[in-house]
Amino acid sequence: MKITRRDLFKVSATAGMAAFTASALSPFTGLVSVAEAKSSKRSKIQPFNFVVVGDAHLYEMPNHRFDKTFERSIQDILNMNPKPDFVLFIGDLAQFGKVKELEKGKKFLDKLERAGIPVKIIPGEHDWYLDMGKTWKQMFGKPFWSFDHKGVHFIGMNSILVEDYWTARNMTPWERMLAIAELECHVCGLWGVGERQLEWLEKDVKNLSPDTPIVIFTHSPLWDYYPRWNFQTKDAPQIRQILSKFEKVIAIHGHVHQVVYNRTGNMVHIGNLATAWPWPYPPVELPYPKIRMFRADPGDIFDGVGFASTRIDEYFDGLMKFHTWADLIPDELKGGVPL
Amino acid sequence: MKLLKVGFLLGAGVVAGLSFNFFSNIAEARKPFTEEDLKLMNEELMALVKKGDELWHDPKLGKNGLTCANCHPDAANANPHTFPKFQDNVGKVATLREMINWCIKRPLEGKELPEDSEEMKALEAYAIYMYRGFTLRPGDNTREYPPVKVKSGPGYP
Repeated sequence: MKITRRDLFKVSATAGMAAFTASALSPFTGLVSVAEAKSSKRSKIQPFNFVVVGDAHLYEMPNHRFDKTFERSIQDILNMNPKPDFVLFIGDLAQFGKVKELEKGKKFLDKLERAGIPVKIIPGEHDWYLDMGKTWKQMFGKPFWSFDHKGVHFIGMNSILVEDYWTARNMTPWERMLAIAELECHVCGLWGVGERQLEWLEKDVKNLSPDTPIVIFTHSPLWDYYPRWNFQTKDAPQIRQILSKFEKVIAIHGHVHQVVYNRTGNMVHIGNLATAWPWPYPPVELPYPKIRMFRADPGDIFDGVGFASTRIDEYFDGLMKFHTWADLIPDELKGGVPL
Repeated sequence: MKLLKVGFLLGAGVVAGLSFNFFSNIAEARKPFTEEDLKLMNEELMALVKKGDELWHDPKLGKNGLTCANCHPDAANANPHTFPKFQDNVGKVATLREMINWCIKRPLEGKELPEDSEEMKALEAYAIYMYRGFTLRPGDNTREYPPVKVKSGPGYP
């Protein structure tokens, strides 16, 4: 019998199970008591599923490897039973914000729309910095929005707005795009949503009661994970402050191309996989180190990537399940991550 | 008294040396390695690291637009300190240079570099420099290691 590296991982994962249970249960058991206390809200939410997919990073050239992984994701979403109520694309549809890249991506997303699955979308930095979002906005409309669905208030924001780093350096639009397309861009600075969106958010939630279930989507995390790679949102503290009046907020982000989980105050944060390629974990301590994926085999284009579906139940307990094609998710998380 | 003092100073020097280096028998480079010489030699190394950084982010190494940095920002998960090691995908014990070529050929769909080329040396120099200070772990293919933590700049002087 051939013992693969993955088998070895499994053995050590099982051995570490007791430790995992101890650390993981503390945040999760908290939710049970909250749910009991919130039984009055039972009538407000009708349980449903939605899908989060993103970081497709499509290149202009035909039959690219990232076309294949994105296409497979779309096909799997189309085959889901029951159908998700909607699909949220969480940014970075294109690699360099080119019209042809965005058009290619839109064709894939249109397949979902044609099958009766609505698509919601927010931008990532790769969609934006060639023409400062012009093509993206023409194609997809407003980059920040909110809507209500079956008792839950959903918010999407554009979290990748940086200060001007290009004018003083006399950069062309292409150079500006190439710079920020590097994760470790060291001239681009930290990004955020900016004043205008903060004001909008404040107004958007002003009249909502504290027991309103809130789900917020941003491309980048709403906590300081690793600023070096813009695994952060500069004005996340203000966003968290505005949303602090709610009993519970589920925050879902892309950009990190990895499974990562955190909690801050009333918010639970989770990062989504890319369909293009996985990022390694940065040199920081994870707050929940057991909620992460395995290393991927770089020889398999379908390893290290995927998307996620989330079930929201009547108590506003979420369960996020990662859909992968390789053995990427540890056994303890295969049933989903409680949100 | 004078002798005692000298002896004490010598002893203190040895103790300081021991706490600084694990081995006490480390020889030092003899002159003419002046401060100026060392500075020049370091500048040469940094020029190679910088060249490696540029190549690391250059799609010309491949044919599908990808660069080394797509999967290895700041050389993360390049794990240069774990080579040589058995690589499943290479099918044998591989050196860092062989692994770099595997990445150029497979994920980047490009043409392998001659192993003694300046480009290869530069890529290797960049990857190793981003893992400076790490303990050598030849053969360790059980995990990914994050590189040095970078606060600002390219990650090297």
